Amino acid sequence: MSELFSSPYFGVALSVAAFGIGVKLQQKLKTPVCNPLIIAIVLIAGVLLIFKIPYEAYNAGGEVINMFLAPATSCLAVAIYTKIKILKRYWLPILVGCTAGSAASMLSVYGLCRLFGLDESLTISLLPKSVTTPIAVSISEPAGGVVPITVVAVIGTGILGSIIAPLLIRIFKVTDPVAAGLAIGASSHAVGTSKAVELGEVEGAMSGLAIGVCGIITVLLSMAVL
Amino acid sequence: MKIIKQIGIIFAVCWLSQVIEQVLPFAFPASVIGMALLLACLVTGLLRIEYIQEKADFLLENMAFFFIPAGVSIINYFDVLESSVIQLVIICVVSTIITFAVTAWSVKLTLRLMNRGGNRAEEAGQKSCMAGKEESRE
Repeated sequence: MSELFSSPYFGVALSVAAFGIGVKLQQKLKTPVCNPLIIAIVLIAGVLLIFKIPYEAYNAGGEVINMFLAPATSCLAVAIYTKIKILKRYWLPILVGCTAGSAASMLSVYGLCRLFGLDESLTISLLPKSVTTPIAVSISEPAGGVVPITVVAVIGTGILGSIIAPLLIRIFKVTDPVAAGLAIGASSHAVGTSKAVELGEVEGAMSGLAIGVCGIITVLLSMAVL
Repeated sequence: MKIIKQIGIIFAVCWLSQVIEQVLPFAFPASVIGMALLLACLVTGLLRIEYIQEKADFLLENMAFFFIPAGVSIINYFDVLESSVIQLVIICVVSTIITFAVTAWSVKLTLRLMNRGGNRAEEAGQKSCMAGKEESRE
């Protein structure tokens, strides 16, 4: 039976189908809770568990998809480049905000992990959870983190951020769109940015920039710590 | 051919960044090197945005898809999750709120200092901005 599934085409086809369903569901329901990535992960995990397909069989296709991770991350450069004018104009608040935000994120995660007595590998897995998935993974993996936990924590944080961002803006009285956008991007990366874009053009651009800048700063900070 | 060329450029940048990662005396993620490399090429004009636009848009728009396998491997870690799922959720919620607040406040503070330093801070960049900061402190 398992020969049927051990071809890499199976894993790729299943991933595309599951992601397609996820995207459709999100378009229909229009809520950030229906994140296509989360839906796809749940669907595929369900298929593998129900039909008792070994993870290794799926991952033959998974590795093909993984190959595109580094190119996709590199292309964040294109996203930054298209906003280079705003970056030049607001470089100081962007730099200060992203540095403070990245440090606050890592410190709070570290403190809470210690408080709950979580072990080192879990702590490392969670440490980069506020930055975009490719960068978070490239920080957590070599340092001994558990990659899937990093991925789930990052996406969970993103979804959470996109839901509570409007509420946080009111609670902390963030009237300035530059501050609001950077705060959303720094705390909840690309998923949060999708919400920031809805709030306004400045918010969206700032949030998008914060993804890249916070990513780089978090890498630098983690190099100093790990 | 256009798309193939774009794939070629982006993959070449990725390969180059992996070579750099090997050569660097300290650990630094290759994907972030690739990002810096690509940005440098674009800013210096070595690479025109049109050369990679379509492929980059394709990768950026479908970014989430490429993380499916990494996420699915969570099924190998159910035991880890089971024992500490509540802690993980609390950590995510609390640190997300803290990160949001700290970022928003530090940006607000910086913008206020910049405005006090006058518009020249914005135009002349770092030096006058630092001066503006000093003035407003006094």
